[in-house]
Amino acid sequence: MQEKTMQQASPDSSVRASTRRSAKACAAAALLAAGAAMALLMTGSTSAREPFTPEELAEQQKALLAVVDHGRDLWHGSLPSMSTNGLACGNCHPDAAASNPQTFPKYQADLGKVIALREMINWCIQVPQGGKPLDVSGDDMVAMEAYAFNLYRGEAIAPGLASQQTSPIVVKSGVGYPKKGSGIGYDKGTGLGSDK
Amino acid sequence: MQDMKNLSRRGFVSISGRAGLTTLVASAVGVNLGLIEVVSAATSGKVTPFRFAMISDSHLFSIDDHKFDGMMADAVDQVMAMKPLPDFVIYGGDIAQNGRDDQLKKGIKILSKLTMPLKVIPGEHDWYLDMGEAWRGHFGKPTWSFDHKGVHFIGMNSILVRDFWTKAGLTPEQRMGVMEMLESPIAGPWGVREEQLEWLKKDTKGLRPDTPVVVFTHSPLWDYYPRWNFQTEDAPEIREILSKFDRVMSYHGHVHQTVYNKIGNMSSVGALSTSWPWPYPDVKLEYPDMRMNRSDPGNIRDGEGAQYIDLEANFQGTMHYDPFNDDMLKPAIKDGFKV
Repeated sequence: MQEKTMQQASPDSSVRASTRRSAKACAAAALLAAGAAMALLMTGSTSAREPFTPEELAEQQKALLAVVDHGRDLWHGSLPSMSTNGLACGNCHPDAAASNPQTFPKYQADLGKVIALREMINWCIQVPQGGKPLDVSGDDMVAMEAYAFNLYRGEAIAPGLASQQTSPIVVKSGVGYPKKGSGIGYDKGTGLGSDK
Repeated sequence: MQDMKNLSRRGFVSISGRAGLTTLVASAVGVNLGLIEVVSAATSGKVTPFRFAMISDSHLFSIDDHKFDGMMADAVDQVMAMKPLPDFVIYGGDIAQNGRDDQLKKGIKILSKLTMPLKVIPGEHDWYLDMGEAWRGHFGKPTWSFDHKGVHFIGMNSILVRDFWTKAGLTPEQRMGVMEMLESPIAGPWGVREEQLEWLKKDTKGLRPDTPVVVFTHSPLWDYYPRWNFQTEDAPEIREILSKFDRVMSYHGHVHQTVYNKIGNMSSVGALSTSWPWPYPDVKLEYPDMRMNRSDPGNIRDGEGAQYIDLEANFQGTMHYDPFNDDMLKPAIKDGFKV
């Protein structure tokens, strides 16, 4: 429900409002008609006002990282319709490297126009991967963007010229996202995966 | 050790003529990989100039007429168009994407167009579905050496990780899936491990320090970017064992990009893939001019290709990347560079 709400009301304030509401309120909102849900988001604007309590911030972060985690799985081939040739985004962009999300919107020479990251993602899905594009405003696309941007958070903005390799953020093993620890190998269940 | 003279084209073809092509090429490759043990004398330190070529990282899928099939075939065609032809070809690992036998067989069929001997080392994508069973069935031992025209060549399996699957109860497919993901946090760093280190000590024990030595591994023998296993965990031990030689050359796959480094007496060169290019990790390189241009995402053939190395009498080597698309190379490496 939370992701669906985010899809319907993508501006940041609405997202923050939706994440602040309690799980119970979310469940109740799920039963409302779409118009009523939108109204609830709009009238809940006071709950998006800072400062947030530590509990509220933790809830917001948890919601964000759940979406990042979903994006990480999509990035690595969890949705079969995104590829007909076995390739996933991670084949060319491990850790989202060289995807340079912070440089979008930008002029894309192959397409001859300025595009947003989500259009570039769909181009990659359709051309190198031969797959079916994602709904540009859907949950899956939000998750793809969340994964890429999360790994680049804090990186200085730089042009992603094709002739110049821009640098990805360096992430230690597993700390780019709080993937739940598998308890195996070097991923020993801490959620960080780097405690070798 | 085995001498490459036993692996002449004539011998290779004669083996190939006795059975179906795919099986026969595999048989010939098997001969290459130490099924015949030949003890050779330590080399004299002088090299009779020759060329060898390298193809790597084709990542073939179990899909008919996949684009990577044609790109691997194009690399083979480029090798066969080289003048002069290389004396032999090294395959740097990752013929397969998911370790499936049909993928290995498809690769062997494509490689069968090569008329010179072929030497093969495994990559992680070849190995972790069945722990190398199919690969060894086709290619024999993954650890080998031979002498050719004064040079001692060594191949090792550098993608051995610690057992993360038994206790977790993973299926072979799940194990392979973990290894397929470059940035997977689960498997941890890989290496050649103790048995191959002991083998390396024995293999090189009788060789003089002025022996020219070339070593092939799937991964680089230096800590390039461990998170993506652009490393070999026991590379320091390998370099220590080989430190007695005046000069050692290391050629590796896995990185899908042009890269060069030098540590002590060892120079290290990465091979282009025939499938896709990996981006450069955020690492300060000692030789940044050796990097290739960023690939055009709209051109599937940009950033891949084959390569060849010319070795001269004094064991000077010249590395030539032979990409599908020439303008991917920067000036420092466009016309070859000394290694």
